[in-house]
Amino acid sequence: MNFLVPAFLAALAALAIPIAMHLRHREKGTPVRFPSLMFLEQLAIRTSKRQRITDWPLLLLRALALALLVLAFARPFASDSAAATADDAPAVKVILLDRSMSMGHVDAWPAALDSARQIVREARPQDKLALVLFDDEAEVAQPLTVDRASMTAILQTVQPSARGTRYVSAMRAARSVLLDAPNVPAEMIVITDLQRGGVAGLAGLDLPSRVTLRTVSVAPESHANSAVTGVDVRRVSDADRTRLAVQARVTSRGLEAARTLRATLEIDGRASGEQTFSLPVDGERVVAFDAVPLPSGRVRGLITIENDKLAADDTFHFALAGEDALPVVLLAADDALDTETLFVERALAIGRAPTVRIERRRPGTLTNEAVRGAGLVFVWDTPLTATERGVLEGFVKAGGGAVVVVGRRLSTRGATIPLGAVTVEGTTDRFADRGGTFGEVQNEHPLFSAFRETPGALTSARFLRYARVEAPAGTDVLARFDDGLPAVLERRDGSGRVITLAVPLDTRTGDLPLQPAFLPFLRRLVLHTSGHAASPLWQLTSEAWALPKGLRDAVVSAPSGEIERPAAGDSVAAAVRLTERGVYSAYAGQVSGDPVATVAVNVSPVESDLTTVDARELLVGVSVSDTEDAAGAGPAGSIELEKRQGIWRWLLMIAALLLVAETLLANRGWRGKAARLTVSGTERSAS
Amino acid sequence: MAMAPAAFLDPALLASISDLELLARTVVDGFMHGVHRSVRKGSSLDFAEHRSYQPGDDLRRVDWRLFARTDRYYVKQYEADTNVSVWFALDTSASMDFTTGTVTKFDYARFLVASLAWLSKSQGDRVGLVTMGDDLGEVIPPSARHLQRILHTLARTRASGRGQLLATLERVAHVTTRAGVVVVVSDCYEPADKLGRALDAMRARGHDVIVFHPMDPGERELTFAAPLTIEDAESGVRLPLRPDELRKQYKAAFDGHRDALTKRLAAARADYVPLNTDEPLDRALHAYLDMRAMRHPGR
Repeated sequence: MNFLVPAFLAALAALAIPIAMHLRHREKGTPVRFPSLMFLEQLAIRTSKRQRITDWPLLLLRALALALLVLAFARPFASDSAAATADDAPAVKVILLDRSMSMGHVDAWPAALDSARQIVREARPQDKLALVLFDDEAEVAQPLTVDRASMTAILQTVQPSARGTRYVSAMRAARSVLLDAPNVPAEMIVITDLQRGGVAGLAGLDLPSRVTLRTVSVAPESHANSAVTGVDVRRVSDADRTRLAVQARVTSRGLEAARTLRATLEIDGRASGEQTFSLPVDGERVVAFDAVPLPSGRVRGLITIENDKLAADDTFHFALAGEDALPVVLLAADDALDTETLFVERALAIGRAPTVRIERRRPGTLTNEAVRGAGLVFVWDTPLTATERGVLEGFVKAGGGAVVVVGRRLSTRGATIPLGAVTVEGTTDRFADRGGTFGEVQNEHPLFSAFRETPGALTSARFLRYARVEAPAGTDVLARFDDGLPAVLERRDGSGRVITLAVPLDTRTGDLPLQPAFLPFLRRLVLHTSGHAASPLWQLTSEAWALPKGLRDAVVSAPSGEIERPAAGDSVAAAVRLTERGVYSAYAGQVSGDPVATVAVNVSPVESDLTTVDARELLVGVSVSDTEDAAGAGPAGSIELEKRQGIWRWLLMIAALLLVAETLLANRGWRGKAARLTVSGTERSAS
Repeated sequence: MAMAPAAFLDPALLASISDLELLARTVVDGFMHGVHRSVRKGSSLDFAEHRSYQPGDDLRRVDWRLFARTDRYYVKQYEADTNVSVWFALDTSASMDFTTGTVTKFDYARFLVASLAWLSKSQGDRVGLVTMGDDLGEVIPPSARHLQRILHTLARTRASGRGQLLATLERVAHVTTRAGVVVVVSDCYEPADKLGRALDAMRARGHDVIVFHPMDPGERELTFAAPLTIEDAESGVRLPLRPDELRKQYKAAFDGHRDALTKRLAAARADYVPLNTDEPLDRALHAYLDMRAMRHPGR
């Protein structure tokens, strides 16, 4: 017997009330008038006699009624521990089968399946079993059932996945499964290789007190493993052609001895290189393949080393987009000297992935044709014609980016800067105080987030003259000068954005181009404004792959050949959950021809670390709660719970009956007579 | 069916008579029906003697015949002028308003006073009344014409308040300047010795004192059966008790008080007559007449 609200039991102290009443106030009726207490007071009536309990049945009745009321409010419920210990009581077992990539070890997976099957076999017919398959996510493969055949069928088909390990997701899933059998002692049986990397998140997990956790370790005796954990790919340009230089990073852990391995490189499915290398017992080796000619278009690569007992991490995929270039149109005035834009052009030309390709244009030449395919238009301190303004507005609305540099040409008082709707109030000269600096900067903005830890990199730049601009409504001021004037402004327009810079980007009125922050600032300015996303060489399983924004009716082909059509939101690009190793390809409309985008997917290197954790550590930080069942019980469980907790109703009914009996008893016999003993002569003497 | 005159002495029956005059006459007549008539000897308005006229004497009482014969003024003196004044001192404290039967102690006391007053008046005594509560209440001086006033006062008086018997008796002693008979009717909830001293003072003024002590059976025997809380009628003090366990001791204390009163009042040469409210009034009347006969023979 347990209580939902045991604190109410403290009210049992109220039992002292009826006892005190019986000791001190035995008579509730009207006192009987008596001529004089002259003689009675002389009798020295002993206190003990006065305080003696005179009506034990009544007292017991009242005390019992009160105790029952208290017990009812404490909400007792029947503990089924007794029932659970009965031999014929059905047991509830949830099998949590680890199917992460590491379970693909030749010594682990067969043992795991055997263990699961053994548990199913040994279960009694009345026992309920459930099966939860988990890696870094959990799937309830079989809810609680007594059907052994379905369990066995699932175990025949399940295979290790290409994902990591996360025990907490499995236990949460198992906890939800147990809601179908509330208040029944249950056992969670975790069949796993006890990989240390999977325990993250277990601290704080709340399990019902009725649940016991048991682990079945199928960890291989040796944790030795070697894996390809990364790759570096560089385009190497020779005189007349571009070649691809590939380096693979191979990691070893717990080897018995150093091994000599052979690694092979495949580009677009063809063997493109082979290297033999020596792998230390614990450590990492970088294997460099000979540079190979770069195929045109997208490139898929695969690196393979000789298989060990865990073969899944002995291959590594990577994908290289075709030429990753970002076309930028630089619209500069005719009188703009080359030295004026020199620093910007040179700085943008330095970056790779993407490579910025600058096309300089004169005013009047900006047409729709000119901006087609461009990612960004740089308006370098020059007024725009109405046509150019229309072209640019359409370009921005369609998702393009524009950077407007406000210099001496646009600093005419009262002029309106194109695109950003920013008005100019002239220029500010800071020659007197040796130049102004950046003042307030929004460090959390992508444009400046790289300087969050080193704010001095930006504030060391000085500006001798800059435009006085005013930010209209709907424009965010990302940075201000130290005199409070806006320095960098951003305005969203359609799918694109416009950045207005009052900051001088040349060396005539400022020294920002000479500062170390100039290069990363300019690169982030271009990438952020254009919305260009760099294509990674690979992603990890369980990550999401954001498809290119312009891709409509996207169709994604998984490495296994499965087709998925991700839906894009109004403002969110479509994304695909990556669950398999290999190369995912995205197509427009249907899977045919060259893919629009590809991404290679590999398993997290953490999964290749087979170091185990002590089974007891698995429960460190897991808390046990008595109220979880009551709080988390579903509708079906609520009925059962209510049934078990219905004792309070009976207690209340018994207490009510006792109180009725108390009323009858309290008015019985001499109590009734005593109440009628009062005789007043006043009425009788009226005459 | 005609009732025997003695039946009218039953207090339960008297309680049904609302007119105190009728009640008193009924009691006295019923009582006198079987009592010797000699008690009336000497109590008349017969001529006694002559004495010389003194300035201030009522001219109507001058014996003109003797003046004609002797040419001197003589005044007639009658026996009635020598009858005693009877003071009835009635305890009206709240303790008197108690009964476990049909008649409260106070009603019993009123019947008694009314009856005795009627009886005294019929014998030619001057009757007066003083009520004793927390102080002197009504004070009706003794007179041959005050019977109706006494009866009226008795009819409207209620028992209430805390009694101050000793103090009021002392004041009664001061009020009664002329020696006579003082009839005290009280439940005597005062120590016997103190009450005796109060009556000593009264006796010292030449009064004959007779104390009637009406008692209720429940008050005397503590007849309550079950545990209960009793409340002092005068002070309001409450006391939970178990009568079964205390009855014996209480009765002993009560009887001891009564015995003490008997002895102490005898020592004060006062008559003490304990009365039960469930017994007829004749014993009280007998006691009164006996006292009158003994203290005032020939009157």
